[in-house]
Formats: sequence, structure tokens, C-alpha cells
Amino acid sequence: MKASAFDYARPRDLRDALKILSENKNAKAAAGTQSLGPMLNLRVVQPSVLVDLRFIEELAGCSENKDSVTLGACVTHAQIEDGKVPDPTRGFMREVASNIAYRAVRNRGTVGGSLAHADPAADWPSALTLLGAVAIVAGPHGRREAPVEKFVTGLFQTDLTDKELLVAIRIPKRPAGARFGYWKFCRKAGEFAQAIGAALRDPERKEWRAVIGATGSSPFLFSQTESLLKNPDDNACLAAVDAARFTKDAYNRQLHAVALRRAIERLAA
Amino acid sequence: MTTKGVGASLPRKEDRRFLRGQGEYVANIRLAGMLDVAFVRSPMAHARIVSVRKPSGFENSVFTSEDLNGVKPIRAVSGLEGFKVSEQFVLAKNKVRQVGELVAMCVAPTRAEAEDLADSVEVDFEELPAVVDMLEARLSPPALVHEEWGDNVFLESLVDDDLAAIREKAHVKIRRAIRTARQHMSPLEGRGVVCEWNRRLEQLVMHSAAQMPHVNRAGLAECLGIDQGAIRVIAPDVGGGFGYKGILLPEEVCLAWLCRRLGRPVRWIEDRREQLSAGANCREHHYDITLYADRKGRLLGLDCEATVDSGAYSSYPFSACLEGAQVSSILPGPYKMDRYRCRTWSVATNKAPILPYRGVARTGVCFALELMMDAAARELKMEPHELRLANLVQPGEMPYTNITKKYFDSGDYPEAVRRAAKMIDVDGIRKLQKDFDSNKKQNEKNRRIGVGFSIYCEQAAHGTSVYHGWGIPMVPGHEQCAARLSPDGVLELRIGAHSHGQGMETTLAQVANTVLGIDPENVRLVHGDTGLTPYSTGTWGSRSMVMSGGAVAAACDVIAGRVKTIASRLFEVSTSDLILENGYVAVEGTDRRKSLSEIAHVWYRQPQLLPPDVDPAGLEATAGYKAKVDTGTFSYACHAAKVAVDTETGHVEILDYVIVEDGGTLVNPMIVDGQVFGGTAQGVGTALYEEMPFDAQGQPLATTLADYLLPSATEVPAIRLSHMESPSPHTRFGQKGIGEGGAIAPPAAIANAVNDALAPLGVEITESPLTPRRIAEAILNKKKSK
Amino acid sequence: MKRIALTVNGKRVQAEVEPRTHLADFLRESQGLTGTNLGCEHGVCGACTLEIDGAPSRSCIAFAAACDGAAVRTIEGFDDDPVMEQLRAAFTAEHALQCGYCTPGMLITARDIVLRLPDADEARVRKELSGNLCRCTGYMGIVRAIQLVLTARR
Repeated sequence: MKASAFDYARPRDLRDALKILSENKNAKAAAGTQSLGPMLNLRVVQPSVLVDLRFIEELAGCSENKDSVTLGACVTHAQIEDGKVPDPTRGFMREVASNIAYRAVRNRGTVGGSLAHADPAADWPSALTLLGAVAIVAGPHGRREAPVEKFVTGLFQTDLTDKELLVAIRIPKRPAGARFGYWKFCRKAGEFAQAIGAALRDPERKEWRAVIGATGSSPFLFSQTESLLKNPDDNACLAAVDAARFTKDAYNRQLHAVALRRAIERLAA
Repeated sequence: MTTKGVGASLPRKEDRRFLRGQGEYVANIRLAGMLDVAFVRSPMAHARIVSVRKPSGFENSVFTSEDLNGVKPIRAVSGLEGFKVSEQFVLAKNKVRQVGELVAMCVAPTRAEAEDLADSVEVDFEELPAVVDMLEARLSPPALVHEEWGDNVFLESLVDDDLAAIREKAHVKIRRAIRTARQHMSPLEGRGVVCEWNRRLEQLVMHSAAQMPHVNRAGLAECLGIDQGAIRVIAPDVGGGFGYKGILLPEEVCLAWLCRRLGRPVRWIEDRREQLSAGANCREHHYDITLYADRKGRLLGLDCEATVDSGAYSSYPFSACLEGAQVSSILPGPYKMDRYRCRTWSVATNKAPILPYRGVARTGVCFALELMMDAAARELKMEPHELRLANLVQPGEMPYTNITKKYFDSGDYPEAVRRAAKMIDVDGIRKLQKDFDSNKKQNEKNRRIGVGFSIYCEQAAHGTSVYHGWGIPMVPGHEQCAARLSPDGVLELRIGAHSHGQGMETTLAQVANTVLGIDPENVRLVHGDTGLTPYSTGTWGSRSMVMSGGAVAAACDVIAGRVKTIASRLFEVSTSDLILENGYVAVEGTDRRKSLSEIAHVWYRQPQLLPPDVDPAGLEATAGYKAKVDTGTFSYACHAAKVAVDTETGHVEILDYVIVEDGGTLVNPMIVDGQVFGGTAQGVGTALYEEMPFDAQGQPLATTLADYLLPSATEVPAIRLSHMESPSPHTRFGQKGIGEGGAIAPPAAIANAVNDALAPLGVEITESPLTPRRIAEAILNKKKSK
Repeated sequence: MKRIALTVNGKRVQAEVEPRTHLADFLRESQGLTGTNLGCEHGVCGACTLEIDGAPSRSCIAFAAACDGAAVRTIEGFDDDPVMEQLRAAFTAEHALQCGYCTPGMLITARDIVLRLPDADEARVRKELSGNLCRCTGYMGIVRAIQLVLTARR
């Protein structure tokens, strides 16, 4: 399984990268290539040029202020797992990162790559949706921002045009009283999830959020769902899954409802 | 107590190169001027080929069936009566019969370019209805895989018996439909071929990741119409076989032809995509089975209609009906019974040709029978292990000829069950289950515990008459070893079998140590090379330690005799005064001794010192071995599993897994344990994870490892293994074949444990793998029907 | 074609590569380093694991051109490494390999576990190994070997 031929570019800065994207039809931005690599080898994707973003300094860094942490798109899962970048969620993001795939994949895979790839079964689209994170995008007309729940639009789909790049992700800092819950069902360790449930209770900010992920499309967000978080019984969770309208399959429905309930149950811990 | 001979857990010699990345697998072989091959494979399961258009300018780099004129199709003809023959053209001619079948061969300087070429070959197909389900294939076929047959049955076989009496008096009558999914054996290394033409020897030299090089050579000669001496097949380091590499491949024939045509070395390395889409070829069975027992649980008999999905062609050499023929002869397992009837169909479908995967039919029949035993136990309200104890062949009855005339050589089957029951702590599990029912702790109400057993006996290293009886076109007979002591006292052993994980470079050196006293460090094994080794049908069927081990011992016996003859002259004593130990031949009871290298030196360099009656054949001998009893050896084991079933998600966690195993004398216990652990891991895959589903058009649906799930270190539990030892009376050291055993019992043990956990819900699963979806849906459906 | 320069097992290497060539093929086909094996080319089986810039990585889904300027270390580059020497001895003592095909990738991952997670218990070891498939051993010997080294180093 060898990839079809493509060209390789290593832009030195963002302007360079955007220029290559706008001048080349079928160019593909790449960071860790942990998701893109298999697709290239399988010839599922056949770009004209691979644009390697890993040497653009501003994409590799991170910054923080009193309200939020901003991670460059090329921050790797391993850096988050190891606590090498600030964690605005007091350990929640570290835990999510540590359960992505396998360490060898985490060493090269990036949070921006994962979000821009928008595989429904991946962790960051669901987790970042839960956290109220914001995607920061650069394009030929400058920068724009989009909340992650609007940024991810479907199966492997985001609102990026083919001339734009995801450059960073800004995550609000959560106070000490915030609680997180995350539960996913995988057939075997490290593989893609079949169902994801995620919950966040932040009474100080009066936020009660729940996410149903791995739906085959974009994650489904319930914001202001205090009653669900307080009483996550089976019927309430099934009703939530039905409201998300992504499955009629009885097992799939049950699995997602269970994932949601178990995520909410973890809030207490 | 030996430290280096038979019975020692000697660390492996072959580890040295593998630990440093110095293994020489076929893909590591680099020949000057070598070209790479990629194949155009059929995207359809069943279709007529209307036309094939080569990309213009590349007509000399793309080949189809038309170009390979003179190359005969692959034909593996079983000797069993009624067997229908299939012809497999190495590049499809007129018709394709499975997704992945070879349509065209493309050659280029690199694999990537060969794949580019393959992508630009245009093939027009006229799609035909696909034959996918094995029951439908026989009963209401949507099409005929081989039109000239009139149906889709390779072979039907019947072991007949009159069941009228037991049907009358049986208190327990249980009938089930049991199904096992199609799988892919998935060694880490796929298949691969490198082919070159040796000008000096005028010989085609093929390096192939193969388990049976001599058999591949024979098949190549048949297809190419040349004599076997014109071909040399070498199996280099091979990254796992399990049966997947026991086959003459169409790719091998194609590359042999291409190599001659181009006059340059050529290479094809199977990638995982090809492997999974074209090679899922094993384990798919269906059983309609009825068990009869009396009110005390004594087995009266079995009645079964079994179907084996044999794929589109008869693979060479094992043929399409080895597995089907085996089903009827081994279904009764290690149990006694009065009556037995089994009809088996080996059915043709539009899938890859069946190959025997580790355990062969035994995994399927163990699954079927052991599930029935547990179902009977539930009906009789008996403990499943007690029901087994009541029906197993007893140690006092050994040797025992069972209802299908299998000659069990030795063993204590009930003791294995008793020990396993103790190790897994059945009583403790029953207590947990009682506590669950009465207690129902809120956060654990969805987690049910269960225990399951399975026991089997495994015929291995069987001889000529058994295979002849199964109709296999390649019948193993004697096994040989050519042994040679070099001028500096290093023993070289040449065997036609091949080691691809079994550690034979070490274990056969241990055999030499026991017979000759030579240090295993001074023993070299040459294996799996038709140019260098005696004929062998290869490594499969758990036969190597018995057969090649026996041959090595026989050859070492001869060398030992010759060494003693030379030494007796040098020491001026009679040969009966001499012993061989620690690399020396010594006069017993004295300190007079000479090393093997000194003896060798005399033979090769100082023949003037030799006795006049020395055998002129010298320190080189070929000796053969055939087991005294053709029915082979019977190793056996009882597996027991303790599981927790998450009744909401259907996930199964294996909490404890125990094995009580008896392989007779263990040549290297550490290596035997490794074989058991490895086989068990594959069994866990069969039980819970591995499945190649096909859609209605015959498309395989799990064509990457993201979908075809292989168990990792988190899915395979820590296994507790305990040994019993009943040596075989019929083999050189009492050893029994044991390489496959681990893969036989786990699906039954795990399924029985799951069914035990779900019994209070009235749920029983009779299909493998027991995926979360299957389990949860069974529970949901049961709830709905209430 | 792209001209690249990188360090492989401590030696400076310069070459011309097609951008589509992945790192494993580059090392195997043009650098004579065949110790790294290919088992799937879609990043699942772990057989191709080696180190890129000191971190275990899958070489089948990293492209050689993307490794321009990187330091790559294959199994061959660990011949004299003392931690790897401990692991090799443990692998042999505990029968942690049979056909040997998964072994180079397994050793690279094992070394990472031993160095990065010195307090790992059995469950953690198994979890960290889950990205390296073995079809021969059932993982028993591999887990024991790693535990042996972890204990020896404590």
C-alpha cells in the first residue's frame, strides 16, 4: 500500500503556508500525519502537495492568560498528556490525551490535526466541544474564530475552506469547583470509540454541559442541561440520544445513552 | 535433570538475530536489478471478465492470463469420492470468483510505481450474483461458483449411524444452530515472494515466506510444466504462519513465470490491505447439532449436520475439504457415547479458498460440542464440569478407541477438568453469583460474572493412513534428517520442515544434545530449503517435534554409532564401553575421552588412524522417522474462563483464565508454554474480536486492522498454566504434538462463561465472535419478548 | 524528488527521496536498515515503531521528507544501548519472542516504558503495549520481560 505521488512543502511561516494552499488545488495541510498517513498509504486521499505545518513556530507554541489557555494547532497529544503545556481543566485534558490511541501516535499526532480532521470517533472534537473551546482560523482574509461545536460540521467535515488553516485552539480556564466526566466505549484499547459521553458541571459559571460523541457525525452538545446532569437516569439519557437524532439502531442508541450516563456519573468523583 | 537436552527450558539461540533486527525475512532480501510487482485484483466477488486494457506504453509491464499461456491452473484434488475439482487460473481467466482474485500482474522498479500501473489498468466486469452464505449456497444458490458442477458443493461426507433407539429413550434432547465467523489468520508478516534465475545451476530460485517449501516446489513444477529439480524454494526467516503460509500461491506461480520471462529478479510482498481483502479464508462453520443424554447426564449420542464454507477454489495442497472431512471424524471430542451421526458439506462460495488455521476443524467442533454440553448441563441443573467428568474417557480406559476410531494413546482427561475447576474456583464464582442475585449493588448491577469450561483432545503428528483417509493430495509419510559433523565438530542438521516461531533451532539442538551429548551451541539447523534439505511436507498439524524431532534423533543415533566406532579404535576398547556426554566420547568409568571435534578431525584429516571397518559414509547420515502408530499422538487440555459481562454495553472482560495441559514429554517447556499462550491469544481473538463479515455482494467489510480487530496485550488476559505429563508410548521421547492446542479451546470456554453469566436472563449466544453488539442485542431482544 | 539530510543511528545521511516514500521504506530500501518491519502500513500494528527525535513513532505513517533534519534511531542503533541490553536479556529469559517480526517495534516501546514509567504495574505495562501487536506469544513473555527490567532498575 504505497501512496500515490505528491509533492512536499515545508513553509517557514503561516503566510507561506497559506500561499501554498491558495495556489495549489488539492493541497493538504499536514502536521503529525497520524490520521493522514494511513489515508495516503491506502490511496483514499491523493493530494497534489502535502503542506507540513510542523516548522511554523507560532503553531507549535502555547500561551495563557487569566481566562484561558491557547494551544497552537501543532501541540502534540503527548505534550498535553505529559503536562508540558498548561492545562486549563486541572487534569481533565491530560487524562483525555493519555487515552488517545497509543503513545507512538501521541508523540506525533496533534490536537489541531485531530480537530481539523474531525473524525467523529476521535476524542478532541468531543472533548473540546464539551469545554467550550474556540477554534482560531487563519485564511487569505485574515483571522476568524468559531466555537468548536460550530467548527466541526460533520463526518470528517469542518467549516474550513480549502484555503484556510486551523492555527490554534483557545480553551477557557475552569475554576476549582468545576467537575468533568468522560466515558468512551472502545472494542479494544486505543482504538476508535464507538460511543463517547462527556459532561461538565461548572456551578461558578453556571454551566452544565453534556456531549454525545462518536455519532458518525459532529458531536452533539447539550448546553444548560442542569436537570440531565443532576438526574442521569436511563430514560433521560435515552431521550437525549433520541434528541440528537443520529441513530435508529437499538444497540447504538443504548450504547450512547450508557456512555452519556456513565460520563455524568463520573462528575461526582 | 538435563540442562541442555530434552526437557530443559533452554533459552532460544535464534533470539540473537531477532533481538537486533537482523532477521532475514523475505522482504529484507535485496537482489541486484530486482523489480517489484503489484497485482490488479478483482473488486468483485463474482463476475465475468469482459475485457482488460493495459495502459498504453506499458504493455510489456502488465500481464494477464492471456500472456501466461502454457501455465496450468492450480488443481488440488482430494482423493475422497465425490470430490468436485476446481481449477484456479493463476491470473483469472474469463471469470473471477472472489474479491481480491488476481486479474493482472504489473511490474515496475518500485512497488509504488507498480501500484500506479495497477491503478491505470482498466478492467470491465459483468457482475454476477455473489454466493455468500454457505447455507444458501447449498440450499438455494443465487449462482454457481463453478457452473459445470451443477451445485456449490465440493464434497458431502457422512458418518452414519442408527439413532432411532437413543431418540426414543433420551431424557435430554437439545438442538442448536451454532455458527462461527470467517477469520483471517493475520500473522504479523504477510506472504511474500522473491524470485531469481540462477544461471549456473539453471534453476529458478524462489524465496518465499512458506511453511512447506517442498510442497510449493511440487506445485510450481506442475503449473509451470518443468521438473522439480529446476526449482529451488527457500523459506527464509518467516514471521508467523499458523497455516496462512501453507499453500501454493497463484502469486508464486506468477512470479516464477515472470522471472523467467524478464530474466530479472522479481519481488512481491503482500501488504495488509491485500491480506485482509483477499485472504480471509478460515474458521467459518455452521452446525445444526442435537445432543441426546439420559436423565443422569450420560451422553447417548450426537446428530449433526455441519457445513464448512470452503471458498471459491480448492487450495493446494490441503484441498477444499480437509476441514469438512475432519469435522465428522473429530466432533465427538474426548467423550464416550453410544451413537454418532454426522453429515458434512464443504461448500463453495465467492470467498478466499479455505486453509487450515491453527487447530483446523477442531476449534469449530470444540465450540459446537462444548456449548452443547453446557446447554445440557443447564437443562439437567448439573455443574458443567461435573457433566464433563461423567462423560470423558477415563484414564483407566486408555488406550481408547473412540466412536470414530480415533486411538487415544494416553492421558487423564477428568483430572485436567478437576484441576481446572479448582484453579478457577468454581465454588467461589457460584458464591459471587448468588451474592449478585440477592444483593444487587447499585453500581454493579450491570456486571454479571460467569464461568465456562472447555476440554478437547488434539490428534497431532498423525501419519500416512489418516491423511490418506482424509483424501489430501499431499500425504505425509516418513520424515528425514540429514546430519553432518563438520571437520571442527559442529553438527549440522538439515530438515525439510521449517521453523517460523516454534524455536526449532533450539529444540532440535536439544534433541541432538540428548542423543549425542553435543552442546546445543555447536549445533546448526538448516531448514526449509529444497536445495539443502530432505523432502518434507512441512510445518503444520503440530507435527514437527514428533516427526522432525524423531528424524533428528534417528540421524544422531547413526552419527553416534559412527563416532563410537572411530573412538573405539582410537581408545582400543569396545563400543559398548563408550558413552557420549558434554561434547565428548569417553571410556565409561575412566577419564579417557576425546571431544567430538577431535573425532571429526580424525575422520576428515587423519584417516590413517581410522579403523578398517569404519563406514565410508563417514560423519554424514540421513535417517528417517515414522511414528509407530499412524493415528498419532493425543495431547489434551482443559481451559476454564471467568468473565464479567457488562450487560449494558455487551463488553466481556476476562477476569481469570486457566489451562491444565498435557503434551506428554515437553522437549522445551518454556517453548511449549509459549505455544500455548500464543494459541490461546488467537483463541481469545476468535471468541471475542475477530470476524470478517461480507455484504450481500460478497464484499469483505473489515479490510484494515481498524476493523479486523486483533487482540493486544490489554485484551489477552494473564494466563495461568498448569501441566500434566502423560508421555506418548509411541514417539521417540514421549513427546506429543502441541503447537495448535491453545487455539482450540478458548472460544468454547469463553462463550460458555458468557452464557453462564447470562443464564439468569435466559440468554444464550451460539455464534462467535461474541461481540458486544451480539450480546447486548440478545439481552435486549429477550427483554422485549417478555 | 526532495533532497533530505537527517541523522540515522548517529550517522549523517543525505539522500533524495520521493515525497510519498514513508520513513520505513526509506530506511529499508535505500539505507540497508531492514530491522524495522512493516506489518500494516496504516499505523495500527506497531511493528514499524522506531524513534524519531527520541520519541517512539510509527515509521509507516511518517514520511521521509518530513524527517528532513530529524534524528532517527532504528533497532540497529540500539546495539550498544545498556537499557536495550537489559531488555534483550530479559526477552530471551522470558521467551518474549517467537517469529521475531514484532520484536524490534516491541523493544522500542518496551524501552520507552522502562524509562518513562519506572513505576508501571502490570496493567499499565499492558496498556502501554497495546499499540504493538504480537500474533505468536500471547504477550505473556513480553509483559514478564518488561516487568523484570522495571524491577531490576528500581
